[in-house]
Amino acid sequence: MPTATSAASKAKTQAKLAVVTPPRAASDPKTSDQRTVQRPLSPFMFPTWYRFQITSALSILHRITGIGLALGSIVLAWWLIAVAAGGELFAATHAFIVSPIGLLLLFCWSIAFFYHLCNGVRHLAWDAGHGFELRTAARSGYAVVAATVLLTVLAWLYVFLA
Amino acid sequence: MQKPRSLSNPAALRDATVLRHVSQLGSARDGLREWRLQRLTAIALIPLGLYFAASVLWLATSDRMTAAAWLGSPVPALLVMLFVVAALVHALVGLRSVLLDYVHTRSRRLAADLFVRAAVVILAGASVLAVLKLFLGH
Repeated sequence: MPTATSAASKAKTQAKLAVVTPPRAASDPKTSDQRTVQRPLSPFMFPTWYRFQITSALSILHRITGIGLALGSIVLAWWLIAVAAGGELFAATHAFIVSPIGLLLLFCWSIAFFYHLCNGVRHLAWDAGHGFELRTAARSGYAVVAATVLLTVLAWLYVFLA
Repeated sequence: MQKPRSLSNPAALRDATVLRHVSQLGSARDGLREWRLQRLTAIALIPLGLYFAASVLWLATSDRMTAAAWLGSPVPALLVMLFVVAALVHALVGLRSVLLDYVHTRSRRLAADLFVRAAVVILAGASVLAVLKLFLGH
């Protein structure tokens, strides 16, 4: 009896949909307006509204490191000028760089640099149409974190050992 | 009364595909150019960035004379200038998209946009000038 079976499955589907689909509030314009106002707004969804996901965490980290690196270009320009000028300016710049604050900043910038570089390659792969599977995206994310840690550790080992 | 042409329209750039919102803001068709510029500079920055990072690591253990001599020689001078310019162009596109996402008042966004553009031009100019000085002084 195909008709009875399909009717039964249809009823099941409808029952499922009833559970999943939220009740409509559009009939009452006041309620629907209130819903629009109270809806949380992008981009500040991540910590309060969404559970932790490696993909979204790395996405916002890409932006944060990008902004950090843009700020770092100020110090880069300053350092280039100091090398060109020499004398007291270079001495002062060098003293700042090797100070605890300078080294901390350099450490942060090295992490940001390697992270933004690795995750940038991940973004370019996405732009080329690769790695969109959820599992692949999560895995490539963890790979980026691992590569960042590895490159940062290697770089600082080189500085302190060489 | 609605004023679709108002300059203080906060949705002006966000709703860039709505004609009445963009009618005063140019063609709104250079999104692809920015997108491509960001990707092109990103690709260029992979080798340039690795070269720069490796050089900085090597210079970290040497003195100013070595750094000045290195920056004054042709190939490093060219590559460092290319790195700085590509990085700042990349940063400009990125920072502008951040401003577009987070700064919703048009006047503030315009001010921030002008500031970022000015900062990028000054930093790029200063960096290139510094490297050129070392290169030409050699």
